[in-house]
Amino acid sequence: MSELQPLARGDVVGPEAALPPAKQEGGGENREGRQTFWAVVGRAYWRGLLNRIATGWVVLILLLTVVVPFLANDAPYTAVMKHFPVDAAGNPLPPVWVREWPLFRDLTRVDWIWLAWGGVAVGYGLLRWTLRTGRGGRGGLSAEEEERRRYRHWMGTGILLAAGIVASIGIAVGKHEYLDSRDYHQLVRQQGNEAEMRDAVFPPLRWGYAQQEPLEAAKLFMEPGGDHLLGTDGNGRDVLARLLWGARVVLEIGFVSEIISLVIGAFYGAMMGYFVGKVDLLGMRFVEIVEAVPLLFLLITVVAVFGRQLFMIMVIIGATGWTGIARFVRAEFLRIRQMDYVAAAKAMGLPLRNILFRHMLPNGLTPVIVSVTFGVAGNIVSESILSFLGIGVEPPTASWGAMLADAGDPGVVFRWWLALAPGLMIFLTVFAYNIIGEGLRDAIDPRLNKIE
Amino acid sequence: MVPTLIGMTLLLFVLVRMAPGLTTGGGETGEMAKQAREAMEQRMKERLHLDKPLPEQYGLWLWDSVRGNLGTSIQYNESVWALIKERAPVTIVMNLISTFIVYLIAIPGGMLASVRRGKTFDVVWSFVTLALFSLPIIWVGDLLLAYLGNTHYLGWFPVAGSHATNTEWMTSVEYACDFLWHMVLPVTALTLGGFAYLSKLQRAAILDNLGLDYVRTARAKGNSGRVVMLRHVFRNSLLPMITASAGIIPSLLGGSVVVERIFSIKGMGDLLVTATTARDLPIVQGVALIGGVISLICLLITDIAYALADPRVSYE
Repeated sequence: MSELQPLARGDVVGPEAALPPAKQEGGGENREGRQTFWAVVGRAYWRGLLNRIATGWVVLILLLTVVVPFLANDAPYTAVMKHFPVDAAGNPLPPVWVREWPLFRDLTRVDWIWLAWGGVAVGYGLLRWTLRTGRGGRGGLSAEEEERRRYRHWMGTGILLAAGIVASIGIAVGKHEYLDSRDYHQLVRQQGNEAEMRDAVFPPLRWGYAQQEPLEAAKLFMEPGGDHLLGTDGNGRDVLARLLWGARVVLEIGFVSEIISLVIGAFYGAMMGYFVGKVDLLGMRFVEIVEAVPLLFLLITVVAVFGRQLFMIMVIIGATGWTGIARFVRAEFLRIRQMDYVAAAKAMGLPLRNILFRHMLPNGLTPVIVSVTFGVAGNIVSESILSFLGIGVEPPTASWGAMLADAGDPGVVFRWWLALAPGLMIFLTVFAYNIIGEGLRDAIDPRLNKIE
Repeated sequence: MVPTLIGMTLLLFVLVRMAPGLTTGGGETGEMAKQAREAMEQRMKERLHLDKPLPEQYGLWLWDSVRGNLGTSIQYNESVWALIKERAPVTIVMNLISTFIVYLIAIPGGMLASVRRGKTFDVVWSFVTLALFSLPIIWVGDLLLAYLGNTHYLGWFPVAGSHATNTEWMTSVEYACDFLWHMVLPVTALTLGGFAYLSKLQRAAILDNLGLDYVRTARAKGNSGRVVMLRHVFRNSLLPMITASAGIIPSLLGGSVVVERIFSIKGMGDLLVTATTARDLPIVQGVALIGGVISLICLLITDIAYALADPRVSYE
């Protein structure tokens, strides 16, 4: 079933896992000069039309996650608001009009962190653009040029990453107030002498994820049309706005959980693969134990014990999904530890942490990238299932799984506008990640496809 | 096998012991109420062995579990074992049917894909199975239930439960048919995602075998392609499929949690989810343990079946 990642796990069990990634495939490409492994993989991957579409979709969802506060929000970008000042004695003074920026003022910490990382991504794009060679590949560069280019690339990336991390920490720690209880829909309706707002510029979709219509029967479960392109749910919230905001939770959980899985799995697998013997034996037993409990059973048990805040859910999904990665890394390390450069590193008396993490790990992580892609898809499914069952992220946070659950019991009353769109979004996103995973696997290990 | 089982119980025990403390209500401030509450807490602690050191607690819990005493549910005040015994059969039968159907479709699909490798069927089949694998089960379940079950739409299938309400008057054959009738939609939802992995495995296994010497020998003896395929390659390619069942059954069990929820089937998964929302930890622990044990039993059966199917394998 889709909440597990049998595709990724299956690969590890098979004999292929122990084989090296085919770094020397495609002899014809050597004519273009020296090529890095990733350049070859990238080209093989980019050849597939489906891969391109899937990547496009994922980038689109990422973009959406960053800009969604500016797309779907009940507060205007800017408006001139009427203020009612009082003097020191508390007597009312004549009202004044002040230009305000409610949307920007009300951005939450999470919004700012996403924006910061969006900026980092744009910065990286610019960096790559300034470093472009214009000759397709690096064939024509002299060794010196290439060295400088590589140095700039790593320096730039490092600075950008550091800036992103510093900004995130600053945003997370810094003082931030946002509490805006004004009903802008009501303010727009006040005209003439009653008006308290003018010259408002609204986002394209004037609903946030938690903004409710007045709780009247006519405004709940509205079918698509009119003010609400995709209708409203049982709390009078706009479905389209929640759909857009839902992308954010899905991606946050998908990525953060997978990073947690990756760290645990890589470390654990590296330990098993390097210290074969007893460590390996005991380690594998533990992996088998964790795998023996059905993933969803394990997830639900941990949620029952630890509660369901967003961060907790991320940690839980991450801490239960690392076994596949651990198996992958272990298999890679078992292979790599026999290699000459490891023996050389040992002979040179390098400390163990350097051998493990500077020399072996970068070489052992290549096939893991496939597992990570499938893992993100699996995490998205896990999150949607937990939210669907009512034990995922807490309302009113918009999550596609929770939105599906809001549709109610389809056997009795089927509210199609609540069920179709969120499910389709989960499907498309998971499908995109799975396609990317398959594409990357075929690109990294073409042997699988070349058996004719 | 046994170490894995013991490790699993230890894992679950530690997990549940990490839960925030036991509360027995409160709010009353009077001396009598306080005494009563303390007495109740004491009784509760004794009942759950919370007054003993941790290793002893674990030993007692394990010993109780082995004897079939998984504790008492907080919300139903019934034995957890009795609850699970009542709920497990539906879940297990549903999963067995699903496993059977997944194999029934995935094996021919994978074979055809390997025969037509690189051609249209191969490409389309792998695309379709990947799409089915990506379909979120919560969505498929909802849509199947709505369009095929809801009487406002087609209304072909029952919308809830695992059998009709008037089972007392049914003969056993009728009962079986009724049960299967109720299982159509849940099993469909459960199976859709399973094809991708198994058929890809089957395809790879056949392709691996095709390159081996015995195939060339069989061909050289003048056998037709069909005979070589069905009599030699196909049989040998089934071995990985046996191993795969060990991995597919835990995931199906997980999927059945959702399916039971959507189709209101009173199975183990439904029990687990209701217990989680009510923070009924004895049930959660018990169901997770039984789920793990079922997976381990499947693993054991797989190992035995593998040894039977392939005489070269021995577990000495």
